[in-house]
Amino acid sequence: MIMNTLLKWIVGIVIVVLIAWGGYVLYQKYSGSIDGGVATGEPIKIGFIGALTGDAAAYGEGARNTVALAVDEINKSGGVDGRPLEVVYEDGKCNGKDAANAAQKLVNVDKVMVIFGGSCSGETLSAIPIVEVGKVVLVSGTATSPDLTGKSKFFFRTYPSDAKQGEIVADAANAKGWKKVVAIQEQTDYALGYYKAFENRFKQLGGTVTKEEFATSVTDVRSLLTKLKNQKPDALLISVQTPAAGERILKQLQDLKWKPALIVIDILVNDTATVERNKEYLEGAIGADFALDQNNQKLQNFLAAYKAMFNADVPFTSYNTAVYDSVYVIKDGIMAVGLDGEKIADWSRTIKDWAGASGMITIDANGDRASAHSVKVVKDGKAQF
Amino acid sequence: MEIVPQLIVNSIIAGSIYSLVALGFNLIYDVTKFFNLAHGVLAAVGGYAVFFFYKTFGLPLILSVVIAVLLTGLIGFILDKLVFLPLRLRKASDMVLIVASLGAFTAIQAIIAILFTSQFQTLSQGSGQNIYEFGNAVFTQTQFIILASALIIMVGLVWLLKSTMLGKAIQAISDDEEVAKIVGINTNKIISYVFFIGSAIAGLAGVLVGFDTGIEPTMGMGLLLKGVIGSIIGGVGNIYGGVLGSFLLGFVENFGIWKISGEWKDAIAFILLILFLLFKPKGILRK
Repeated sequence: MIMNTLLKWIVGIVIVVLIAWGGYVLYQKYSGSIDGGVATGEPIKIGFIGALTGDAAAYGEGARNTVALAVDEINKSGGVDGRPLEVVYEDGKCNGKDAANAAQKLVNVDKVMVIFGGSCSGETLSAIPIVEVGKVVLVSGTATSPDLTGKSKFFFRTYPSDAKQGEIVADAANAKGWKKVVAIQEQTDYALGYYKAFENRFKQLGGTVTKEEFATSVTDVRSLLTKLKNQKPDALLISVQTPAAGERILKQLQDLKWKPALIVIDILVNDTATVERNKEYLEGAIGADFALDQNNQKLQNFLAAYKAMFNADVPFTSYNTAVYDSVYVIKDGIMAVGLDGEKIADWSRTIKDWAGASGMITIDANGDRASAHSVKVVKDGKAQF
Repeated sequence: MEIVPQLIVNSIIAGSIYSLVALGFNLIYDVTKFFNLAHGVLAAVGGYAVFFFYKTFGLPLILSVVIAVLLTGLIGFILDKLVFLPLRLRKASDMVLIVASLGAFTAIQAIIAILFTSQFQTLSQGSGQNIYEFGNAVFTQTQFIILASALIIMVGLVWLLKSTMLGKAIQAISDDEEVAKIVGINTNKIISYVFFIGSAIAGLAGVLVGFDTGIEPTMGMGLLLKGVIGSIIGGVGNIYGGVLGSFLLGFVENFGIWKISGEWKDAIAFILLILFLLFKPKGILRK
């Protein structure tokens, strides 16, 4: 009996050792393949929060690819002080709840010092309190809600706030002689931010705005549009979180045989594919976008590298170029002040005329990128400045 | 008042779509007596099947729709054989079946997102569809087809249940599965047929929604909830009830936001559900 028990123990221990050893070998192999490239030091873990599923995956997927591309480039050219970057990607699903969970995991489990994201303003707003507690720096190239301005010293963005976007579009609408604008707005932080910026400015200019809101889960907005149409406005403002929601509205406008003058949020004019798909409905629509200098060699390099790596054009070029720059900004930050969330956050406020693919980046005291949008008009299926 | 005709049209369109979901859902509930949540995702399967065969593969439209509807029915049939039948044979509780159907829902939705990305897509090509006007109201050709399909399928199901052997067997199982077995009905075979028919109807609903608004992998849950609310307030398991409830829901939802803000649309739908659950739990037409 004793021999039997002993034998069982020995066999058991041998199995455990074998499994542990096998696991260790696999782990070495796996982590080795991630490290790759020239940089071979201990990896620096960095977090990413973005919408990887749902309508807003249109942004999150592009942002994830862009981060992966920039990190790959950095690692191949020696990493950050010889240490490669390693990104942990989390799905924030474009909503506060999932983004908060993702931020909790990144801060407390993965112990990152830097998080890229969120791809949506709502994600970013709910991640901020968590990164503040963990003293982790949060940097976004796509969260543009005015509500994020000055929200936290741990947050900064490489894309300008929508406050400017709403204002210049209101100016443009006023210049067209429009006095009565109706709006359809999705219930998200970003869509609300754009609407509020527009409304404030347009009312100052003496116009009137009324709006109908709808929840993201609602796909049939015909009755809302019917009500708005009945007010006989000069123009319709479409403020939505995703191109998908915008496209549904455009389609239902057409089904209702209503062809109002359109004022749209930037996402409906800053993605070439979206404009091309909806060129009939969007013809003449005005919107604003953050202008990129097409002669910038860094921009051209990024566009070419993205195409080579993912065999597709960069979606939402202005957003993702800002995301691309944010990765390099962080690299410079770590090299300047070390891997410390608080120090990088402080350092971010000193960024001035940093030359990136999206142009010169200057971060103001509120953590916003100090730059402006310009008005775009859709003409012949293309959005033009 | 001039928006009333358009609100009526909008209500009818919404009601027809909810009816199509409720009809298939009710039929399956009738014989299995559990809330088959996977029913919602089958609408997405139908929509994406047309997307694949018509837009990607380039088959003719009608053929693509027929293939998509049959394919969706087949997937419903397979779901029954692989998941629900083994659970029924094991005498699993309704709760287990609901959880299993939720699992099937999530898994299929994820597979669709992996195969086709989670991007929103439209099935209609260009803007060449006919639009009809009746005074102040506008109706598209697609919307007319949706309404016609809902009514035809309702009539078709009534005929199936009242006038065919299969229908009589379905009703027998619906009344009492044990007794149906005793009198020699192969209940599991009949139930699998019902899964095929009910799922095919869900697939058609998805196809039509795809032509009307568009498709995305997550479209199933919204459709399912509205269809289920429609069938609960109309009377679960009752064919006319499901249609009646769905149209009532469509009208209440669209007229509810006439004078108040549109953000209340979903809230109104669920308040209606709660009122019915509290005061008329068996629905308008009880079975």
